[in-house]
Amino acid sequence: MIKRQTAWMAAAVSVAALVLAGCGGGGDSGSSAGGGKTKVVVWDGYEDVQGKNITALIAQYNKEHPDVQVTQLVSSSDRVLQKVLTAVRGGSPPDVAYMFGSWSPNIAKIPQVVDMSQYVQESDWHWDDFYEGERQAATVGDKIVGVPALVDNLAIVYNKSLFKQAGVAPPSADWTWDDFRAAAKKLTDPSKKQYGWLIPADGTEDTVWHYDAMLWEAGGDILNSDNTQAAFNSDAGVEALTMLKDMAVTDKSVYLDTTNSNGTKLMNSGKIGMLVTGPWDLSSLPDIDYGVQVMPTFAGSDAGHQTIAGPDNWVVFDNGSERKQAAVDFVRWLTAADQVKTTSLTTGDLPTRESVGSDASFRKQLEKNLTGSATFVQNLANVKKARPSVDQYPAISEAMGQAIVSVLLGKAEPADALDEAAQTTNDALNGG
Amino acid sequence: MSVQASGQDAAATQGAARPGWVGRLRRSEGATGWLLVSPGAILIGIFGLLPVLMALKLSFQKSDLLTPDTPWVGTKNYRQLADDPRFAEAIQHTIVYTALFVPGTMLVGLLVAAALNRSVRFISVYRTAAYITMAVSTISEGIIFLWLTDKDYGLVNATLNAVGISSQPFLASTSQALYVIVAMTIWGWTGFAVIVYLAALQGVPSELHEAAAIDGARPFTRFRTITLPLLSPASLFLLVWLTINALQLFDEVYLTTRGGPLHATTVIVYYLWDQAFVQFNAGYAAAMAYVLFLVSVVLTAIQFRLARKYVHYS
Repeated sequence: MIKRQTAWMAAAVSVAALVLAGCGGGGDSGSSAGGGKTKVVVWDGYEDVQGKNITALIAQYNKEHPDVQVTQLVSSSDRVLQKVLTAVRGGSPPDVAYMFGSWSPNIAKIPQVVDMSQYVQESDWHWDDFYEGERQAATVGDKIVGVPALVDNLAIVYNKSLFKQAGVAPPSADWTWDDFRAAAKKLTDPSKKQYGWLIPADGTEDTVWHYDAMLWEAGGDILNSDNTQAAFNSDAGVEALTMLKDMAVTDKSVYLDTTNSNGTKLMNSGKIGMLVTGPWDLSSLPDIDYGVQVMPTFAGSDAGHQTIAGPDNWVVFDNGSERKQAAVDFVRWLTAADQVKTTSLTTGDLPTRESVGSDASFRKQLEKNLTGSATFVQNLANVKKARPSVDQYPAISEAMGQAIVSVLLGKAEPADALDEAAQTTNDALNGG
Repeated sequence: MSVQASGQDAAATQGAARPGWVGRLRRSEGATGWLLVSPGAILIGIFGLLPVLMALKLSFQKSDLLTPDTPWVGTKNYRQLADDPRFAEAIQHTIVYTALFVPGTMLVGLLVAAALNRSVRFISVYRTAAYITMAVSTISEGIIFLWLTDKDYGLVNATLNAVGISSQPFLASTSQALYVIVAMTIWGWTGFAVIVYLAALQGVPSELHEAAAIDGARPFTRFRTITLPLLSPASLFLLVWLTINALQLFDEVYLTTRGGPLHATTVIVYYLWDQAFVQFNAGYAAAMAYVLFLVSVVLTAIQFRLARKYVHYS
């Protein structure tokens, strides 16, 4: 009898504990934390030096704003969308989240996302000071879904000693893609398992944006002007993809990174002559002497040097007017010129604001911290186009990615592959 | 304590004289049992059963997970599955994978377990070595195999070259990638099969072997006619367990090939994830999940039915 009663009590206590724990979780999501401070919850995927930087900035903000308590939750950037979607469904989204720019059209559909257009008009935001490509990527229709958090772009990063060994002149600003191809061929040496170039070939957006930049340089576009039809299967599109085919299939001068995992490591071990990549890879190349140069142009095309930017955003969620206002204020502070400059110099990330990037003494300091980063800053001026802001973009990216990989693997001809992808794209755009 | 307890006892007995519902509840064995399991049951209900039911609802809706608007579409998602060539392709890859992975893991596991089922020096070292692959995280497993099978710099190709075989593209090839994933997951799961078989092997009575040996049965015959039948419950367990896991293959694909090259390793759950979280077709993905669920149930039922004929418990 004693035993049974004890068991009964134990069971009752554990149920009570469970119920209380549940209530505790619910009560916690109220608008104010203890001490009357307004809570702002920030989700980001920053690690290492970037993580330390954001943590320090948040601490500084909390110190300067005693009525606000900004807290941070670190989670992988790749998965933050899944988590935010779950949290939105559960009714407890964060106040601010770091989200990839390519998600913008989809993010725009989340009702809890705060349309920033009403705020950024205010003069103290200096909205026009953000680079054009960043503003485009944050804008969906008449909404502004976020504030630029990070910007990057693609340029050539090359191994100086491999160029010297192969007797090839290093890339110059007036290189054409034919020069690039010829250099890649000379840098390739099967006996040393050395390749001229490495391209991510897993068919994800990482493959696609390498091609996007080439497509624009050849004078093409992803979609037509009113975003109703595929335009990448044009002559320009075929020209750009044929260049990839000539290098990967004919010359075999490209390491096809089909699992998209080896690029930086192989570059750093001196097996690859050139990478087309962004500034984030520079700090992972400590063992080689590298240089950075803007992307080549296509001979005969008047589109000139272009590149693609992948601006990511701070997205604000509406958790009641008090927290919303506090979150907006925090984001304005975090993305103001002073903080942009601090972040850039601490982490080596490119500045998101033109006033910072155009400052020559700043660029000199950045270059001193991390060789090559000044070229990436200047290359921001070559960001002339952005990916189309349509919510079918994931399907379009998937179709283009498969087309590119099938050509790289020698399984399809550029024109056929692009036509097939265009068909899929048009079906998706027309509600297929 | 004992005084207090007997006092409570007395109160309980008094309550029994005029049994209210509380008293009845406190006296019944069933209620105590339910209370004891309720913390677990509630958690499983909230985090297991409820999502399963919500996914069922989702499979009849159109949802992008982003907008609150989720219109009902009837069986459209299920009908669409029937004409989706990529889904058909994913099913085909899953079947090939399962058909190779399950028997492969069982066979390798059995051989290793048989080899380890003896008393030699340092046997616990060997047993630990056999099991240790289970302790390796999937991420490490993925990275190890990525480098082992790298087409230019991998150890596997270096070994092949040393014996005069030319380099293979492995994960970079549409025709080989799936088999590399089979090999990789067999490696990862062998430890599990070894443990199960080793435990079962130690339950095989040595008298049977001795008696058969006296009757002149050779070792292989004894293994086939005594050991194998007595291992059948363990084999059934592994068959069911590994099949369910094989049908749900995702992590290894996500970490290595991302379903590529050119969808060559896109199995059902990878395609499902791609549809839900990359393409934002959550309703369609939920329908896919339910088809997979039903297939798993049917397959398991068939396996248990066959087991009646082939599994011997003594």
